[in-house]
Amino acid sequence: MSVRKQRAERLADEELMPLIGEKDPDAFEVFYDRHGGVAYSLAYRIVGERAAAEDVTQEAFISVWRSGARFDQARGSVRSWMLSIVRNRAIDFLRSRAGKAPKLTFDDDAILERRQADELTEEEAMRRETASEVRGAIGVLPVEQSKVIELAYFGGFSQSEIARMLGVPLGTVKGRMRLGLEKIRGELAEGLA
Amino acid sequence: MTQTEHAHERWSEDLAAYVLGALEPERAAELERHADGCESCRSQIDWLAPAVRALPDGVKRVEPPPRLRERVMAAVRADAVAHEARRSSFFERLLGAASRPLQPLAGLAAVLLVAAIAGYAIAGSGSDGGGGGATTVVAGQAPGVVAKMVREGERSTLHLANVEQLPDGRVLEAWVQRRGEVEPVRALFVPDREGRASTQLPEMDGVEVVMVTAEPKGGSDSPTSSPIATLAVPQ
Repeated sequence: MSVRKQRAERLADEELMPLIGEKDPDAFEVFYDRHGGVAYSLAYRIVGERAAAEDVTQEAFISVWRSGARFDQARGSVRSWMLSIVRNRAIDFLRSRAGKAPKLTFDDDAILERRQADELTEEEAMRRETASEVRGAIGVLPVEQSKVIELAYFGGFSQSEIARMLGVPLGTVKGRMRLGLEKIRGELAEGLA
Repeated sequence: MTQTEHAHERWSEDLAAYVLGALEPERAAELERHADGCESCRSQIDWLAPAVRALPDGVKRVEPPPRLRERVMAAVRADAVAHEARRSSFFERLLGAASRPLQPLAGLAAVLLVAAIAGYAIAGSGSDGGGGGATTVVAGQAPGVVAKMVREGERSTLHLANVEQLPDGRVLEAWVQRRGEVEPVRALFVPDREGRASTQLPEMDGVEVVMVTAEPKGGSDSPTSSPIATLAVPQ
């Protein structure tokens, strides 16, 4: 192992980013080794296919490599930033596969184009929602709350689309999202207490 | 209720959808404009955001295949090579610029193309020779020229596509770099009418970078022009 890499391994993510911004592949390798697993897992959770998850993860990491210098620590951790890129790319993939948003956006700050809920099927929604087990923070929620949060975060559906798919009023979806996130937030706060 | 309070009331019910990325784009943009001037909404967004950031933690862990790491790092190393070339006149050093200035080619787009060798395929040793399924990921910014290298057993072949026709008296020459030293491959080749060109490469042990330049007919002992393709080889 190179001395540069050994040194990089001792650095926090936020300290690696300036090195990555200077195009240091050793620093980036350390970053990949730390977060490649969770990034791939998230991509796989969303797209449901290994090959597609690999492509999504690779695109996301290359995006970090190219834009590392623009990372803004005030907007959250490096890990959260990177996972938000993975999520955006994965949702892009789902939409492009469905043929409703053929172009891939490479602007991770852009708000993504949405497809019409009328053209989605309940079956597709449920496949995405039940694609893997619900665990972790979301597992503490009542099923009606976890369902809308899963459909939004892992399925990439808007609140209006979710309301139409589930056949419930939009206000109900909003309320479930809010209650669910507040409960998760409360659990996090308790964990820190 | 004041107008501001009324607006806040209207937007507050959308905050959860906003942090989840589940608000329609137009409405999300409107909410952001409102939140810019509404401290209450901003603080609510800041408070809810960690709940969304926690969602990936609940995803069942799936180990990525080792080849993914190889693909990512090959692309990154190739891009790093290109960056270094741009930043510190890397190629001027390679070419001995102190004594021989660069000679940009007339009529040839001297683009720097970096191909990450995700498709640095190692084909099976069987007689079909096609087990690699090579796919090349182009990581550079330059459009046009596409480079792909395929290894079959001990033999490696470099394929280029979309190469512009060379000026008269010029040929393509391949180079390899080992431990920072550039060596000629002694392989001269030219693109066909469709802009495709291929050449065999020698023993690849220790090769870090493969480059192609346009040289005078008969070849050169060291590069005399900027590379039209540069490929970083995964180690």
